[in-house]
Amino acid sequence: MSWTSLLPLAIVLSSLVPGLIIFTLREEQQRLRVTLNLAGVALKVVLVAAMLIGVSDGLTFRFSLPFLPGAPLVLQGDALSLLFVTLSTVLWLATTVYAIGYLEDSPLRSRFFGYFSLCVSATVGLALAGNLVTFLLFYELLTLATFPLVVHRGTPESLRAGRVYLAYTVGGGTLVLMGVALLHALAGSPDFQPGGYLDGLVEERGPSLRVAFALLVLGLGVKAALIPLHGWLPKAMVAPAPVSALLHAVAVVKTGAFGIVRVVYDVYGAEAMEALALARPLLWLAAATILFGSLRALQQSELKRRLAYSTVSQVSYITLGVALLGPLAVVGGLVHLAHQGLMKVTLFYCAGNFAETLGVHRIREMNGIGRRMPLTMTAFTVGALGMIGVPPIAGFISKWYLGSGALEVGQDWVLLVLLGSALLNAAYFLPLVWRGWFATPADWHADNWAGERWETHWLLLLPVVFTALASVLVGILAGTAISPLGWARLIVDREFPR
Amino acid sequence: MNAALLSLFAPLAGGLLLVLWRPARAGLALGVALVSLLAAAAALHQVADGTRQWLEVGGWAPPLAIRLQLTPLSALLLLFTAGLHLLVAVYAARRPHAIGGADFWPLACLLHAALAALWLSADLFNLYVTLELLGLAAVALVALAGEKAQRPALDYLLLSLAGSLAYLLGVAILYGRYGVLDLFLLGEQATADAPTRLALLLMTLGLMLKGALWPLHLWLPAAHSSAPAAVSALLSALVVKGPLYILWLLWTRLAPTELAVQAGPLLAGAGALALLAGGWAALRTPLLKSLVAYSTVAQLGYALLALGLAMHWQEPRLEAALWLFVVAHGLAKVSMFLAAGELQHTLGGKRVVTLKGASQTLPVTMFTFVTAGVSLIGLPPSGGFLAKWLLLQPLLERPQHWGWALAVVLGTLMSAAYVFRVVAHGFDRARPQPPQVRPDRFGQWLTLLPALLVFGLALIGERMLPWLEGVSR
Amino acid sequence: MSTPLFWLGVGCVLWLLGLHGLLTLRNAVRRIIAINLMGSGVFLVMVALAIRERPGDPVLVALVVTGLVVAVSATALALRLSGQLARARKGDA
Repeated sequence: MSWTSLLPLAIVLSSLVPGLIIFTLREEQQRLRVTLNLAGVALKVVLVAAMLIGVSDGLTFRFSLPFLPGAPLVLQGDALSLLFVTLSTVLWLATTVYAIGYLEDSPLRSRFFGYFSLCVSATVGLALAGNLVTFLLFYELLTLATFPLVVHRGTPESLRAGRVYLAYTVGGGTLVLMGVALLHALAGSPDFQPGGYLDGLVEERGPSLRVAFALLVLGLGVKAALIPLHGWLPKAMVAPAPVSALLHAVAVVKTGAFGIVRVVYDVYGAEAMEALALARPLLWLAAATILFGSLRALQQSELKRRLAYSTVSQVSYITLGVALLGPLAVVGGLVHLAHQGLMKVTLFYCAGNFAETLGVHRIREMNGIGRRMPLTMTAFTVGALGMIGVPPIAGFISKWYLGSGALEVGQDWVLLVLLGSALLNAAYFLPLVWRGWFATPADWHADNWAGERWETHWLLLLPVVFTALASVLVGILAGTAISPLGWARLIVDREFPR
Repeated sequence: MNAALLSLFAPLAGGLLLVLWRPARAGLALGVALVSLLAAAAALHQVADGTRQWLEVGGWAPPLAIRLQLTPLSALLLLFTAGLHLLVAVYAARRPHAIGGADFWPLACLLHAALAALWLSADLFNLYVTLELLGLAAVALVALAGEKAQRPALDYLLLSLAGSLAYLLGVAILYGRYGVLDLFLLGEQATADAPTRLALLLMTLGLMLKGALWPLHLWLPAAHSSAPAAVSALLSALVVKGPLYILWLLWTRLAPTELAVQAGPLLAGAGALALLAGGWAALRTPLLKSLVAYSTVAQLGYALLALGLAMHWQEPRLEAALWLFVVAHGLAKVSMFLAAGELQHTLGGKRVVTLKGASQTLPVTMFTFVTAGVSLIGLPPSGGFLAKWLLLQPLLERPQHWGWALAVVLGTLMSAAYVFRVVAHGFDRARPQPPQVRPDRFGQWLTLLPALLVFGLALIGERMLPWLEGVSR
Repeated sequence: MSTPLFWLGVGCVLWLLGLHGLLTLRNAVRRIIAINLMGSGVFLVMVALAIRERPGDPVLVALVVTGLVVAVSATALALRLSGQLARARKGDA
């Protein structure tokens, strides 16, 4: 086996192996646990960087293991998978640091970090999955590995949320299973390929292909929180902040959106999507989710729930870009995968900092918080403005491409959706920014970090600053090849060969 | 064939010796299971390429002779039986609370021998005798649990006898009609006339009663949940598979194709309903072991569904799915019952709610339960998933068969619901139940072994699935 | 009506009676007797089939003998269990 075939496996194992070892550690082995975690992250960063260089030089990375007849387990690194792998890795790095600070002195840390690493492995494996069966395997693994994190606190409320979460995700997983099995029965399970592999079947098995598409999109739509399948996401916010940040703002919801990208472009392909008239319903669903999520976010009085509904809305931008089926719109959707991740994770870190430092959970308690925690509030402002789409922050780039993509394929009404959503975003984010900076400060009874040098624990502050800076930088540097935008264009060049 | 006979006679001799010679029970039983396992492996090696071997007992030629046959499938089942017996024996030697008394050892050996003889038999009357031996050994094992198990054991015995007598009446009718008992000679002669139909009906009902196939499963939950943990594991993983094997022989080897095609949807329908009814009951019951027992009823539904549809469409892939279900369920269920026993013993309560906080107090056992449960749900990459995948492929190829696939979906959701019902309690930190006795580390890891083996099946899936399709024909 | 046919009928009736008893009776000993009735029914059917020709079919006779052995041991186990059950009840009361 050459290094190009082992590299994808190594990337998955670099978080899986530390995770499994961490399970066996005792609570008090803090130092070893942190070392293992950081070593895994560092190794993964190096491996991913190597693969990024390789892929941009045109190398292909493919690892395969026999599994089912006609459907081996395949891990492969292509441009699209790397976008997601890189995002997960960078955010895993930030979130690990954050979680070490956040969970200091709380019980059951070995279990927490073990499952946390398993989740990252599942996400990365899912990103690298080279065919539908492999994708399915990691999709189910992700469900199993996130459940203990949702119920981590073990309170009745979190157990209820955990049940809801399982009901949705296991149901979704079963639909994906049926969709994958149906497509396998019709066409086997070849590797994902740009343009899809179902062209020969469109005439003959059209209805079956439509059913398979519906099964897959509904199943993936659970994790991507498309309406009416989004109900688990706000409930799952009872989990500890690092979990909400990485998993429910980024990893879990993005796996759904990423799966939809894979299914649309690498299984069905744009031509089959047109021929089967599948894109339009998906587009409508995405547009409806964008507006619905924003409207619901407006009604929430709790910060994390407002952010959760904002996620419902924002993740559907990705689906929207994909469903428009035009190159520019796809660039917008893909780049939003990375941009939304950076911005939303920032916002969730901030929410976690507010809750951890001052016990602030509700929006009306945020009055004047900017004077007590200026750095966190600055980061929050950057994230919020980015979500609204203020240049030069990352969110602006995505919306620009989505808008021009919609015009390119003649779906002008999508502009109205984007505009409406931007207004709604402003309506639910700007009051928070205003409160934070300009309202009269409240009296924080639970200020458990008063009189220290920094406004909160430095391990909680560092990731916030890092991701906020990154959100600005990827916007400013969007023109360069190494930015998410540059990479998204590379993907689209390969997906839409002209 | 000699290896297969060794695999059969080792536990038989061991069982008889144990009755006579009391000391050193565990050691002898372990040795016997090990010998049987090695012999079964050798037998499988001999016939793995798809050959069959025959033995005519006493040298008589058919139709008078009693024939034993060794097929790749029966060799696989021999290996499976011996492997699970060895594992349970090691566990039982280590954890005496799980067996209910020293009489466990000879009875377990006899059970093993009866099963081995069943897999090797090829004539209807021989199958009857092995079936009866199996039933008697199983009942005696259930009764080991003491007073609380006597009522379920008696019910089990009487219903099991009724099932056998229905089967025997069918055998008598077939013999009266054709004058032979050998399965394959009967298969050549059988026509779809009234006596044959009646005989097949009686035998099928009898076997369904003995195999606890829905709707004749009512005795199973009480018997399996009141037995000692090691016995429950053997009963759920192995004993109910015996009648299923005979049912499969009857309908694929003996019955005229025309009848099999007609009867298929009835069996498949019973299987689909078993999935739903068993799953629902598992979801409602307050007791941990009866949850696991109802899950057996549900999981047998998958096997029955596969059998019925295999008969209806004459589809070898579904027969392979049937055997994969049997193996995957057996392994997962051994883990699950032993884990349930371990949880019950350590936490000192029978109800599902006593598992509160078990993910902290007994993490390994809880992990075992989940791992086995994941295979029962059929999530990748477990053996349960392979079986379900194999079952789904022929169902999904034609839209007119999608109704059956819907039953599989519902079954999956139900099993996920009852498995996670247990898991959710394990994560409850509100008022955790403290362990009554110190958990046993070796026992905990041992129960995990079969659950890991189910996942190991995924590694050989690519070669095993076509092999199973080949040998089920 | 020929003799084999007569015994065949009797066997079937006994089997059905036994089944009926098993399903309707509650008392353990009665149910054990019902099971034995079913068994006798099957054996009668076999004997009836064996005497269709002269001399009788040895295979069937062998089957009946084996079947009787099995039935006796099963009955012994059942009686033992029901005895224990009755004792346990008395102990409770």
